[in-house]
Amino acid sequence: MIRIENLSVAFDGTEVVKNVNLELADGEILGVVGESGSGKSVTALTLMGLVSETAQVTSGRILFDNVVLREAGKPLDKALYRRFQGAEMSMVFQEPMTSLNPTQRVGRQVEEVLRLHRDFTKEQIRARVLETFQAVGLREAEKVYASYPHELSGGMRQRVMIAMAVILHPDLVVADEPTTALDVTVQNQIVELLREINNREQNAMLFITHDLNLAKRICHRVAVMKDGCVVEQGETEELFRHPKQEYTRKLIEAVPSRLKRRVSYKSCGIGVSPEKESAGDGASERERRKESAGDGASERERREESAADRASERERREESAADVTSERERRKGCAADAAPGQTGEPAVLQVRELSVFYREGGNSLFAAKRHHRVVEDATFDIYLGESLGLVGESGCGKTSLSRAILGMNRDIQGSITHGSVRPQMIFQDPYSSLNPAKTIGWLLQEPLRAAAALDKSRAMSKADMEAAAYDMLRRVGMEEFYFHRKPSQLSGGQRQRVSIGQALITRPGLIVADEPVSALDVTIQAQIMELMQGLQQELHLSYLFISHDINVVYKMCDRIMVMKEGRILEIGETEELFAHPGQEYTRQLLCAS
Amino acid sequence: MRKSGRGKWNKYLVAGLFMTGLAVFLGILGFFWTPYSTTAMSAAERFAGPSLLHPFGTDNFGRDILSRVMKGLGTTIVIGSLVVLFSAAAGILLGAVTGYFGGIVDEVVMRITDAVNGFPSILLGLVLISIFGNGRQNVILALGIVFVPSYVRIVRSEFIRLRDADYISRARLMGVGRARILFVHILPNIFSVFWVSVMIGFNNAILAESGMSYLGIGVQPPDASLGKMLSDAQGYLQSAPWYALAPGLTIVWVVLGFSLFSEGVRRRG
Repeated sequence: MIRIENLSVAFDGTEVVKNVNLELADGEILGVVGESGSGKSVTALTLMGLVSETAQVTSGRILFDNVVLREAGKPLDKALYRRFQGAEMSMVFQEPMTSLNPTQRVGRQVEEVLRLHRDFTKEQIRARVLETFQAVGLREAEKVYASYPHELSGGMRQRVMIAMAVILHPDLVVADEPTTALDVTVQNQIVELLREINNREQNAMLFITHDLNLAKRICHRVAVMKDGCVVEQGETEELFRHPKQEYTRKLIEAVPSRLKRRVSYKSCGIGVSPEKESAGDGASERERRKESAGDGASERERREESAADRASERERREESAADVTSERERRKGCAADAAPGQTGEPAVLQVRELSVFYREGGNSLFAAKRHHRVVEDATFDIYLGESLGLVGESGCGKTSLSRAILGMNRDIQGSITHGSVRPQMIFQDPYSSLNPAKTIGWLLQEPLRAAAALDKSRAMSKADMEAAAYDMLRRVGMEEFYFHRKPSQLSGGQRQRVSIGQALITRPGLIVADEPVSALDVTIQAQIMELMQGLQQELHLSYLFISHDINVVYKMCDRIMVMKEGRILEIGETEELFAHPGQEYTRQLLCAS
Repeated sequence: MRKSGRGKWNKYLVAGLFMTGLAVFLGILGFFWTPYSTTAMSAAERFAGPSLLHPFGTDNFGRDILSRVMKGLGTTIVIGSLVVLFSAAAGILLGAVTGYFGGIVDEVVMRITDAVNGFPSILLGLVLISIFGNGRQNVILALGIVFVPSYVRIVRSEFIRLRDADYISRARLMGVGRARILFVHILPNIFSVFWVSVMIGFNNAILAESGMSYLGIGVQPPDASLGKMLSDAQGYLQSAPWYALAPGLTIVWVVLGFSLFSEGVRRRG
């Protein structure tokens, strides 16, 4: 049993964790959710004794089975912690690639924990490692044992990390965003694995995440953190259904989570259905399937569990379904031309039999050049005023397709037709998509200057350009004084607003948005999505919306296009696709999140 | 959070500014006015030790050393600055083009810079001087060429780093012209890195110029030069140590002052 009593942690006199009280019983999974900077990671690191030495515990204490691990005013007791770390408590980190040493075989790294804490013979150690690998669903344990980290997929690496964390059967496992760096389908498997381990070992688990959906699925209890304080904690069901705090409610509302309930359990796949073997990326594909096969057992468990909840689930599903429909109706109502296709809206983009190639070997004079076909035979339209979602796992050709549409990759076959103003793009990372050397005003005017340089007829006077920039600043919901600020003085959300403004100022008909909100906190996500929808109606924009977050796509898009291994699997109306996915893969993808 | 030593002013910056400022002031003053004529000889005053009349003493021809140091300092600073200006400008141009566009131009330019880097810089300078001939302009040109590769490398690697940055991709998407992307969009972002190499380059240029003058192939007499004075003083190290100390310490003063100054600027960050 772990108790965090009244804990405050300060860096340089600034408290980042304030009077936090948490309790964690054996066999319990406690979720700590919050946006970045809410203090959830510092709390966990302090508990683990891994927080940097400049951090000071200014109040409270941490108890582990009545042993005081850390107390206010006292420095870190390294000797004490060394006894607990690894053996009694362990941690799974976010980034499985950087948490493993790339120069050592995976088996050796896992062994290390045993060598430090147990007096085992070599054979015993090896047997124990292989056994643990099996237990975390690594099928070819022997092979994994002898592999280097880079030879494993992200999901397998995370399994190795989990094996390392549970090999000594610790009483506490802290998982800090363990699935954030993974693809959606793999995410699912890892979450199931953690749940399974918790069930089997009956250990306590602290699950830190910014993703409420995830917390909801795995945690027994949830604590919501904001600005270093726990604003609310309680049983997961209760907290999600009747959030007491305004902030919690905002968080829950910000996540377009109603989607998951809308997917019928029927379509959510019993076990793993046979999938057509497709050429190409064979190895990783096989791996993936193996991984999901390994989760068969837990899959079944989950289904049983969910059967119990089903009644209440259904209730809510119906509720929110009505909700969604009305929202959709309203959206279509507002912009009379929002309904694509059927109403005969003109296409702003026509793609016909498009193949995109990728040249490997870079610019070097002596490197052999290889030609890859990364997108095959894509044909689709985007209509005026519609949002077309593009989903698929990483490496499926989403980015290549969008780059071709934007004219950034001219190594193509087939045709791309768009309006007179070139499509513009909104990037994922707001921190690298604005030139840090320039002011916001300059950045907003630069597209106009560029357009004028290309086409004399679009030349504008200096005053007009400035006026247009101020106008755009206002449209994206920012105060005038930001005109003279630099990007470094803006928050992520504000930067993304400027980014949107910069893309829109030349009034292109089509905007390609590549994961435009996935780098943002949930509440900011909601604001940016709202802004994008508002601007869409105001300016009759069309979006090609790329995202791995099915919930976001669901909320933003009228139609969805599913890609796999360079091919378009299917395109359909959002509602229709979620209700009746035409392909097994689509079903997996939509269920995964 | 502020690390110690950070802030608008720090001791490096203050010391560096003082030392560099004094050197630059005296050097520039030396072009217009010196306490004595730098060429007037006086047999009576040969090897006079430091005194109120001649603070740094006089040399083997009875010339005032302070005046000659001032004159030499000015020459050295001007040559050093012009060398940096030339090599940095060439470095930016070549580094930008090779880094951003890559391809065949990159290969060719980089192999040439590899070749230039393959020789000790002072040796290469000597070879170039022997081709161009003596004289102030040729020293600048020779040293300028010698120092170009170091700038090309730094600028090139920065351009490679930034050419695929999202904001540069966006600029391309907007249809911004190539030259404008290179010099308006990317260049301002590499200044912090570039500034450091300019600082180091200035010191290197001053040392290289002094070294070449010492070997007798830089600035020619009767022009004063710190390096030339050092070599002239070599024979009198025992009898008139001040003769060698004055130009030697002046070089140390300038280089140290500028190092402190650049460190101060860097820490101010």
